[in-house]
Amino acid sequence: MARPAPRDPRFASSLPASVRGVNRRTLLSGALGAGALFGAGSLAGCGSDDSPSTSGGGASAKAGNVKFGVNEAKGSGPAYERLQGMADAYAKKEGVQVSVNAVDHNTFQESITTYLQGSPDDVFTWFAGFRMSQFAEAGQIADLSDVWPIDGMSDAFKQASTASDGKQYFVPISYYPWAVFYRPSVFEKNGWTEPKTMDELNALMTDMQGKKITPFAFAAKDAWAPMGTFDILNMRLNGFDFHMQLTKGEQKWDSPEVKKVFETWKTLLPYHQENSLGRTWQEAATSMSKGECGMYLLGTFVVDGVPTEAQEDLDFFTFPALDSTIGADALDAPIDGFCVAEGAQDTEAGKAFIKWLGSAEAADAGNNAGSAPFIAANSGASTAKYGALQKKSVEVVQNAKNIAQFLDRDTNADLANTVVTVALQDFIKNPNDIDKVTSSIQQQAASILG
Amino acid sequence: MTTTAPPAPVRSRPSSPGGRGPSGGVLNKRRGKVATVIMLVLAIAWLFPLLWALYNSFRDYSYTQTNGYLSFGGWTLANYENAWSRGNFGLHFKNSLLITVPAVALTLFLSSLVAFVLARFSYRFNLTLLGIFLAANLLPPQALLIPVFRMFREIPLPEFMSSSGTMLNSFWALILVNTAFQLGFCTFVLSNYMKTLPHEIYESAELDGASVWRQYWQLTMPLVRPALAALATLQVTWIYNEFFWATVLISRGDKYPVTSALNNLRGQFFSDTNLVAAGSILVALPVLVVFFVLQKQFVSGLTLGSTKG
Repeated sequence: MARPAPRDPRFASSLPASVRGVNRRTLLSGALGAGALFGAGSLAGCGSDDSPSTSGGGASAKAGNVKFGVNEAKGSGPAYERLQGMADAYAKKEGVQVSVNAVDHNTFQESITTYLQGSPDDVFTWFAGFRMSQFAEAGQIADLSDVWPIDGMSDAFKQASTASDGKQYFVPISYYPWAVFYRPSVFEKNGWTEPKTMDELNALMTDMQGKKITPFAFAAKDAWAPMGTFDILNMRLNGFDFHMQLTKGEQKWDSPEVKKVFETWKTLLPYHQENSLGRTWQEAATSMSKGECGMYLLGTFVVDGVPTEAQEDLDFFTFPALDSTIGADALDAPIDGFCVAEGAQDTEAGKAFIKWLGSAEAADAGNNAGSAPFIAANSGASTAKYGALQKKSVEVVQNAKNIAQFLDRDTNADLANTVVTVALQDFIKNPNDIDKVTSSIQQQAASILG
Repeated sequence: MTTTAPPAPVRSRPSSPGGRGPSGGVLNKRRGKVATVIMLVLAIAWLFPLLWALYNSFRDYSYTQTNGYLSFGGWTLANYENAWSRGNFGLHFKNSLLITVPAVALTLFLSSLVAFVLARFSYRFNLTLLGIFLAANLLPPQALLIPVFRMFREIPLPEFMSSSGTMLNSFWALILVNTAFQLGFCTFVLSNYMKTLPHEIYESAELDGASVWRQYWQLTMPLVRPALAALATLQVTWIYNEFFWATVLISRGDKYPVTSALNNLRGQFFSDTNLVAAGSILVALPVLVVFFVLQKQFVSGLTLGSTKG
């Protein structure tokens, strides 16, 4: 749920949001339990198979009190405001109660397994890709194929919401692309332009080094950050299909293709900031904003890491093609959205809510409530609140032929977080021992993915 | 901070075998200096990160972002205000209080009961029982994560006790878990302490016709007060600082204790380290207060038990 989100408005808005939330929740908590119990009983009696897939009328008939698990702490900024805004809008529209359970992003993600097996909320925020598919296979999230198709959701989004059994388990709300960010003012001053090909990029990097500017800001202390570089190089060198097969365990990590990725990365490393293992992405973003580094490959959330005056002075381009037969039409653009928990108290009310959440109306409600907008997945959503970066993001993502979710969302979480992260850091530490890095990932991938 | 050995009584050299005199002076002047230096270095090593966090918690993030953390300036109190309101600390401090106080009280009460029986009566299985309590204490709580989680999921609670209908997501779960895991240690300390009480007191109490309960409540409990105070200090610190069970057993954001709620200050990607530092200081304050207020009891309580035994 990253978005261009100015830091200061977030703080300013935190107080009213949290105060509002406290009152609402304490008031509702008592009434809600009883309501949810009645709702579950009567609806289960009606039978849950007749699907409300065709019209909004069908969905609203089943709308009931719903519990909404949100992966943003109360008052933590625009992301929370948007989710709370959507919950409020739905409650008002349907005359039901939406009880929001707000847990901070990292805790929510880390305890998702106990959350789903314990007492999950009816609808909860989650990610598309393997991370969703994993829970679908485990039977912990509900089949939403009767909620689809959703007006305004393209096929690409439907694809991203589909698990390995061909059914949908997810409703997208927003996304953000990964791209190469830079400060136009710095480029202008030096007479640089966005590189369209690898040759242009090489020339640009050499020129930057000549002017004592490090071409790429780079940070690997947040272990996930280097995955962005791996993803884009793999997609540019071996293509999107190979990348996805690799994440699913259908291709080998010690194959010549993956080794080629690391070989290429090795040639690019001298153009990256040194000592990256001790640097957080925020520090890397700062050095780009100061002009010490020319470019930074990161998600659009880079905006959060640069000082306010630099936020207006940011632009990006997609990583150029490395192999003309493969082109440059794939990129990472993680999709955020919602699932219905299988162990929820009221799955039907959850489905009614999630169908609405997929609508353009919900996206608009969210963006109107937040001090900074997200890029809505629904094509019918208003773009009135978008800034320049978001408008460009929409364009870039629409032009992309294939969209990956980012390595740690596209593959098994254990593999990504405990194996690949360490291996990438090892590679950055010692770029010469590629064989060891790739064979170590492959060994562990084989045991984790089975 | 550095508690150096008093130089005065050192003169009586402890050269005689086993010469730890009652004055406690085992350090001569040179050794005393070495000890002071070592303790000073250790104290600085321990205090530095804390003081560094304290220092930066009073500074503006955008200032440190542009000037680096080695700079000087950018003073502000806003981090504390923001941490309090963004982290919703009022609510979470209350949650911590509601968990810690009952858990500490219950732990001390139950463990003093067990300790009393173990120390006062000699059954054949006394030692075994104490052994079991101690052994359970050695078990890492993480190893019991899944059984405890599943068990609590199956235990129903009425609506007014837990909105989820089970032990999960309720303070009861945290109070019970913390009590269970602290019982072993407290029983061990208390039973050792109670063993040091002169047996004659109980004989005369018995002669005066005091029941077992009365011997426990009116005789033993007042006498072990120093040990109870010391344990209370420790337990408040440990249970208050407990982080693991809260994140496992609770999945409702408004029920987290303050230590888990500290995460509220981190965003998905972005975290304002100065803000987190301010939040951490706020969270650490109650422990420091409890510790300094009860410091005397703490030291005397623990050492009394050890030397008399």
